[in-house]
Amino acid sequence: MSELNRAVLHAYLDDALDDAEMARVEQLLRSSDSARQALVSAMDERDRGEHSLGAIWRREHLTCPTREQLSSYLLGVLDDDLTDYLKFHLETIGCRVCTANLADLQALQRETPPESTARRRRYFTSSASLLPTKRDSKK
Amino acid sequence: MPSDSERLLIQQIRQGEPRAWETLISQYEGRLLAFVQRRLRDRAASEDVVQETFVGFLNSLPNFDEKRELQTYLFTIAAYKLVDHLRKKERHPQYLLADGAGEALDREVDSSPGASSVVRRDERRELETIALGRCLAQMLRGLRERGENVRLKVLELLWVKGWANKDVAAFLEVGEQQVANYRFAAVRKLSEMIRDAGLSADVFPELHATEAPA
Repeated sequence: MSELNRAVLHAYLDDALDDAEMARVEQLLRSSDSARQALVSAMDERDRGEHSLGAIWRREHLTCPTREQLSSYLLGVLDDDLTDYLKFHLETIGCRVCTANLADLQALQRETPPESTARRRRYFTSSASLLPTKRDSKK
Repeated sequence: MPSDSERLLIQQIRQGEPRAWETLISQYEGRLLAFVQRRLRDRAASEDVVQETFVGFLNSLPNFDEKRELQTYLFTIAAYKLVDHLRKKERHPQYLLADGAGEALDREVDSSPGASSVVRRDERRELETIALGRCLAQMLRGLRERGENVRLKVLELLWVKGWANKDVAAFLEVGEQQVANYRFAAVRKLSEMIRDAGLSADVFPELHATEAPA
């Protein structure tokens, strides 16, 4: 699995690789002409309108567990089959969205409420003016 | 499929309910922040990207298809905003291309088609992505319901990781022929679904590069 295959290159272009794979790809791109050429080919494929099944699979989160399943995974209360699959999805596939969800669930156990409240307030005040008005919504 | 509570939340936001918007932010900001921060390693910049994600969500709300998962949609926006941020910081993949390979990118940018044809192409790609996503989702749901976890893992390694049949077989400790059979059956089924959905298989190279199993 040392080469840069098509799925990895498309995931790289989408910034969808996990940390270790990202570092491996960047190292190869810095050191190898053929790797850089392969990246240009992947970009050309996109320009021609071609798709990568893996990119769609990742983007649509087709095999991502639910948030509740991830919580149960953290608590160690899932059945063996699902635990095995989640471990595979997180560690072998390296799903960035599920890794982020897991990190968030872990952070929720540690974070002090005022910290997240202040952040949420900032997001709200910076965007609330874009909410549709009640009159707009009736159109 | 989105849950009823998710659909209700979106409807309330569409009606301009600030409390609903606050609820959505509370539910999703933590996971979005974790997603962005893992890549940027910069808390302040990550919070800015998440902020842009929420603004982007409200701007695109009129186009949001309520049949889509809210989380998927938000992470898609966050990924775009993240790539935008990396481009501005010249940390996007294209900046790793050395002069020779970079020329192809410059050509691509210089000779890019007009804005309207780019928009049409992007819209067509988006529709194809959503349609194929639905076909794939239907196929994978069937595998999960039948408890076919090994077959699911095989397909995920083949298509998401791009591994070769022999590597998948070795990792999962199954026969290489079995991997080839799983791939062939999945390609055939997906090709049928794509044809039924009125799409061309030409733009999905993985679907016409598979030999029949021995």
